[in-house]
Amino acid sequence: MLMQLTVSGLSQGAIYALIALSLTVVFRATTVVNFGHGDFVLGGAFGVYVLVVMLGLPFLPSAIAAIALMFACGILISRGFIDPIKAGPHIGFAMMSISLGYIFRGTTRSIWGREVLPMPRVFDIPPIFVGDLVITGDAMIISGTVAILLAGFFVVFYKTSIGKVIQAVYQSERGATLIGINVKRFHDMMWGAGLAMGAVAGILIAPISLLHPDLGAGFLIRGFAAMTLGGFGSLGGAVAGGLILGVTEQYAGAYINTALIDITSYLVILVVLVVRPSGLFGKRAVVRV
Amino acid sequence: MKTTSKWKLPLGVLAAMGIMAGTAVADDTTGLTDTTIKVGVMGPFSGNASSYSKAQIGEMAYYKMINDQGGVHGRKFELIEEDTACQPAKGIAAAKKLVSQDKVFMMHGNSCSGVAMAVKDIVVESGTPWIVAHAVNPNISMPPTPNVFHGVPAGPAYGYTMGKFVMSKPGTKNVVMVEHSNDWAKSYADPTRDYMKTKGVEPTMVLAMERGQTDATAQVLKIRQAKPDFIVASLYEAETVIFLKDLKKYGITDIPVMGAAGTDLENTLARIGDIDTVKNYYVPHAFIDTVDGPGMKKWNDMILKYYPGETITGFSYVSIGSAVAAVQALKNAGPDLTREKFIAELDKIKDFDTGIFATNITWSADDRHGVKESAVAGFVDGKPTVMKSWNQPM
Repeated sequence: MLMQLTVSGLSQGAIYALIALSLTVVFRATTVVNFGHGDFVLGGAFGVYVLVVMLGLPFLPSAIAAIALMFACGILISRGFIDPIKAGPHIGFAMMSISLGYIFRGTTRSIWGREVLPMPRVFDIPPIFVGDLVITGDAMIISGTVAILLAGFFVVFYKTSIGKVIQAVYQSERGATLIGINVKRFHDMMWGAGLAMGAVAGILIAPISLLHPDLGAGFLIRGFAAMTLGGFGSLGGAVAGGLILGVTEQYAGAYINTALIDITSYLVILVVLVVRPSGLFGKRAVVRV
Repeated sequence: MKTTSKWKLPLGVLAAMGIMAGTAVADDTTGLTDTTIKVGVMGPFSGNASSYSKAQIGEMAYYKMINDQGGVHGRKFELIEEDTACQPAKGIAAAKKLVSQDKVFMMHGNSCSGVAMAVKDIVVESGTPWIVAHAVNPNISMPPTPNVFHGVPAGPAYGYTMGKFVMSKPGTKNVVMVEHSNDWAKSYADPTRDYMKTKGVEPTMVLAMERGQTDATAQVLKIRQAKPDFIVASLYEAETVIFLKDLKKYGITDIPVMGAAGTDLENTLARIGDIDTVKNYYVPHAFIDTVDGPGMKKWNDMILKYYPGETITGFSYVSIGSAVAAVQALKNAGPDLTREKFIAELDKIKDFDTGIFATNITWSADDRHGVKESAVAGFVDGKPTVMKSWNQPM
């Protein structure tokens, strides 16, 4: 049972990791916590639903189109809604992101109502049995896709000149501006990247969870919990936090009480903030006086 | 304080309006003429629960059919639709309009328990006979009030049905329950537990699965260890699909699962797309047949005659049974109709076969829950089949 729970937890955790990472990318670049992200995660899935189920297009190009669309949405949000309120109070960012998320949710509700929509399974891989252990096709697809995506992300981030630019802006926006980096465009790109990565998570989970407009809230809180656990602003921490959270939910549900699954995220946030506010991999804030 | 002359006229008008409004509500023949009966039909015709308004469409189709047959004692139904959007605030406005402005004789309909509970006081106070034909919260008609009737199985009736079906499987001793931690699930799970208890069976395990969970591995692995004879799953549609898929994923395909009334077989199969995963799934089913079954053909034809192009689902039938009973009571009340006579005749409806509900309607002044149980639908040889009990098709 332990192994099965671990495999299942890692598969769920991979989704949480991707969501937490996409939240962190935007947070690190812009200091905005995107409270509407749960709804944007579903944006990719709804995009694929429209293209594949309603228009009958093939999955892979549809998925790429949906991810590109969410990337464009991210840029639009950055330019149209976040940049204009930059000079205002920071709370305005939170209000704006909540509003945008709810508008997105309301729009999907007005189109599809409360209908629970089935998403087609594109890669129907048979499960692998190792004794009692079942490794499902979904788990393999999710874990494999997320692993490839994360590997690509971290290679770009740490090994390429683009990554160096990103790191430079992360460290000092003013310094980056002085050496000629267009910070405003960088913010646009990070919003785009954040929403695109979230869209991938939505596309991967929707065939399992089915699709309905209210699904995003659960993903958002899990993303926040993974961020908190890994350490605010830590990219690697977000990934580790997501995986640990996924496994913890399974262990808590199986060995303590299934009612704990739903509140594991909240417990994690609570415990981490009290015991180790910087999380597992976050840097402790040092204030010079 | 002295009232100045400039205020006398408006105050007098207001006082007169108040008196007129009071007398209009109190009249026992409000909403009646020699040729018409005004019926207020409230439902979620817009908004995110608008699919529930199919219930009101079915009911109105029935009233229109009766009109085409000459009505009741020469009176034809004048149906006044009011949209609640499944929102209590809109429902309150709609109920006030029907009662005070449209002055309907009776109200019939109401999907959405939240709306029904919100308008209950207004309707009770007005004395308007009200047949609740879709919302399932038992408290709408409990404790009984003089003018409120429940014409659809309420939550306890479905829970009773679920428990009875589970216990009708020979040798059922070990039952695991999986449920959301909310009032909706409780309204099914508690009566199920109560019924099982009367047969000496307590659930061996009660597992939580909350809305929005996308994985049921922990629950399913616990179930695999418990090896139950039956699983009772009081889960919403999406979680039902996730749960059934995970049962299949971990090789549990031979344990029957009793679902709650919020799901139906056809949609669950459509969402899963694999008959093998749902072959042992059962749901309460209030009607004599499945949507495509021959028993529902006449009702389908009726709905499509008056609402061409309407997509028929299980919701389409929910309110028809109580409309059949209402028409019977109106016939029995005779041509000199009053609200008092109508209510008295509704209370005389006993063991009434509506021709669409799987079980009969019985109302009395002490008990306004008209439909006490339901049938169950499950797949037999891959086809949706309505059953009285385990392995006993209707």
